[in-house]
Amino acid sequence: MTLAPFDPDVRDRDVIVFSKGPSFTTQIDSVLKTQGWAGGQGVQWTDDPTSDTFIVTVSHGLPGGFLVWGSNESADQYISYTENQPTYSFATYCFGTWTISTRTYELYTLASRTAGPLVLNNYVVGEPLYFSLRGLFTNQDESGLGFVVGSVMQVPNGTLNLNYLGVSTQT
Amino acid sequence: MFVIDFKGIDLLRSRDCVVFSKGDAYAVTVSQAMLDGGWVGGQGVQWGPYTDPDSPILTYSSGLFGGFMLWGSDETADQFTAMSSQFLYYDYGVVMAGRSIMSTLAFEKYTYASRLSGPPYVPITYNPCDPLFMSLRGYWTNQDELTLSGDPRAPALYCGLVSQVPKAVNQFYLGVQTKL
Repeated sequence: MTLAPFDPDVRDRDVIVFSKGPSFTTQIDSVLKTQGWAGGQGVQWTDDPTSDTFIVTVSHGLPGGFLVWGSNESADQYISYTENQPTYSFATYCFGTWTISTRTYELYTLASRTAGPLVLNNYVVGEPLYFSLRGLFTNQDESGLGFVVGSVMQVPNGTLNLNYLGVSTQT
Repeated sequence: MFVIDFKGIDLLRSRDCVVFSKGDAYAVTVSQAMLDGGWVGGQGVQWGPYTDPDSPILTYSSGLFGGFMLWGSDETADQFTAMSSQFLYYDYGVVMAGRSIMSTLAFEKYTYASRLSGPPYVPITYNPCDPLFMSLRGYWTNQDELTLSGDPRAPALYCGLVSQVPKAVNQFYLGVQTKL
């Protein structure tokens, strides 16, 4: 096996945790189970009238939390964890205040994603973050609901942090 | 021999407030009003005026938020843990604050307007992710009663959101993700 050159700032997962907040193991709905998700995916609570189990689905702008591990990350292969979460219909839900670095955020503005051509989002340290209409961290309030879920802790930089977005969460 | 009937449910709700993910907890003195009136688990509380210079005191929330009482003052389940009326006897309670996920009976079932003018009482419909506030008597509700009542302290603090709606399979408990 060939190892990649050592990077002192290792980012081998969708979400890297620097400071941990509360977490809770919860069931996922059929949408998440079917389409999968990346680590850092924003989720919101949903309801199943026939079940007493707490269930989350993809956020459409409402607050809730994020899923710390993706449903099928390549790093799972090294810890006997491949597709463990979708197979058993669960995920690890994180809420409250975390400090993380993630590649699960909106790269482009809502308007340009809708109409094109694509225009990069320009992230600035300290600005508020929301969940986009598909549950990714973004600095645009796409839903218009105004629920702040965190702020930018570190801006994406291709040289320094592999274009991960640093987030201080607040959900 | 005592036999507890759990009614076939797979998640036990044998208390007023059931905690799934724990926030920060603190044992604190409670006000005379709470000692006289008692409280249910999940009751919202706010900090009250000191009677002793260095003893923080909690009292019923009147729309503000300082946390919620983890255990009620006289729950049936206390009989099985040798805790009956312990809080009232020793003049204290356990408040939980910060982030937690819990399920409670201490929420408003009816709208503020209908509680004032009713009957008939109009049930509140809770939806997943609804913002939650403290009602004027310290119960969880999705209505900003400080604003509805014209209270100068309005708007109410956004102190939680609905993580599970009340329904038959959860014994009509409200699931709450607390925020403050």
